[in-house]
Amino acid sequence: MLKAEHITKQYQIPGGGHTVFDAVSDVSIELGNGGVTAIVGESGSGKSTLARVLSYVERPDGGRVFLDGLEVSACGRKELRAVRGKVQLVMQNALGSLDPHQSVVSILEEPLRLLFHMGAEKRKQRCLELLDMARLERDTLRRRPDELSGGQQKRLCIARALATQPQHIIFDESFSGLDVTLKKQVLGFLKELQTELQISFLVITHDLDTAMYMADAIHVMRRGKIIETLEHPKSFSDFQEPYSQELVKAVRSKRRALQ
Amino acid sequence: MIRKIMHRPQAVLGLAMMLLVFLVMLLAPVFAPNDPMQLNVAHSFAPPDAQYPLGTDELGRCILSRLIYGARASLSIALPTLLLLAVISTVVATLCAYVGGALDRMFEVVSNIFMAFPPFLVAITLVGLFESKAASIVLSIVIAMWVWNARVVRTHVLRERNQPYVITCRMSGCSELRIVFRHIIPNILPHLLVLYSTGLSSIIIMISSYAFLGLGLETGTAEWGAMFVNANKLIFSHPLFLVYPGLCILFAAAGFNLFGEALRDICAPREG
Repeated sequence: MLKAEHITKQYQIPGGGHTVFDAVSDVSIELGNGGVTAIVGESGSGKSTLARVLSYVERPDGGRVFLDGLEVSACGRKELRAVRGKVQLVMQNALGSLDPHQSVVSILEEPLRLLFHMGAEKRKQRCLELLDMARLERDTLRRRPDELSGGQQKRLCIARALATQPQHIIFDESFSGLDVTLKKQVLGFLKELQTELQISFLVITHDLDTAMYMADAIHVMRRGKIIETLEHPKSFSDFQEPYSQELVKAVRSKRRALQ
Repeated sequence: MIRKIMHRPQAVLGLAMMLLVFLVMLLAPVFAPNDPMQLNVAHSFAPPDAQYPLGTDELGRCILSRLIYGARASLSIALPTLLLLAVISTVVATLCAYVGGALDRMFEVVSNIFMAFPPFLVAITLVGLFESKAASIVLSIVIAMWVWNARVVRTHVLRERNQPYVITCRMSGCSELRIVFRHIIPNILPHLLVLYSTGLSSIIIMISSYAFLGLGLETGTAEWGAMFVNANKLIFSHPLFLVYPGLCILFAAAGFNLFGEALRDICAPREG
């Protein structure tokens, strides 16, 4: 269970002296074990910042983050490293989030060695399992990230996240920039994976369609605040807030354009 | 890695040049036809002949032998200097830039102070302090030059530490030290190789300018820089005296540069 209480995160406006703005202000969110939750909002709504705070990549300026009762937002470096594997963030820029000089096998083996202290034999075996789970071909093991296709890079990021045996995976705009067919493929595969492994997913996206397809619960975020939360939405008309309606309109016009 | 090097003519050429220099350095007594220190004033400025393949200098010493032994004197100082310089500037700059904040600001201040010191002043002080001339030369060059290299390293680290992969590594369970030494440094290593391999020639030149001021090795030591500087005054009567050591420095430096740049191309997947 990953729980955030009254999270506030401020950034200094570049060149603005000491003026700060709240990227996230007073957001509380709870992620149970096993479900899929989505946060939807336009760019600049603070959803990525929230993702970074939830995955304890960044510390909040106010509020607290709990992982199974442990207050991770107050933990020191050492304590954090012990729970590093439990929450994983899959970022938008797949290629950029992979060390360019490492091969696929060393990217996958690193968490196995550092978090689980596996021996060489076991690591090798687990690597192959992870590749199969992420539907990556086994001959990619010796390649470097830039030698993979865009879809393979995404899968590699997911495989790496799975290597840490996480309870939660946060996908921060991980599927934007993929073409429609590829996106469908990746989303479908993730849904299967989720039912199979029972890991809790948090999908952060600007695309309401993706959120509706993936999630059981949807939070709509605007200007650093969660303005609407829907459990098990059936259709777009369940959204009440005017801003959510705007997002619905955006999806509808995109669909029309595609047809 | 070795196969990749062998497939690149530039790397093979650079490697061959470096190996040749090392070979000459190690086997100087085998190659040299004469004793490089043997004076023979009666036989000064002799043209090349069977005994002195490149002739003799103003004191009648065999030029070829001096060049061959010169590889020893020059590189036995230049290489340790380079190594020390590379390790110190890489480690200090990387740690400061990665940690950032107060430590990085402190680095700025310290580096400004070091940049203000003229290297010769440091050299003069150190020569007074140390018995060993070689040690004081090495130290003074390191003190004078580490900041310039460290600043370049710092900019590379600053760019690299904001890459998203650093966050990914942290989530894979890497400690901060592991991120620095196993992820950031390997990624900027190609740039560093070029930086340091080009540094070799300037170190050789610097050692020679020390000799010019009388701060270098013992006068009369067979060393490329000293020979080069010494030949300055004979530039009109015997211009070749300048060319020989110059070519040697060029050859050694070019070998290192070629190899360094080829390594960069091999190690840098991103710039492809």
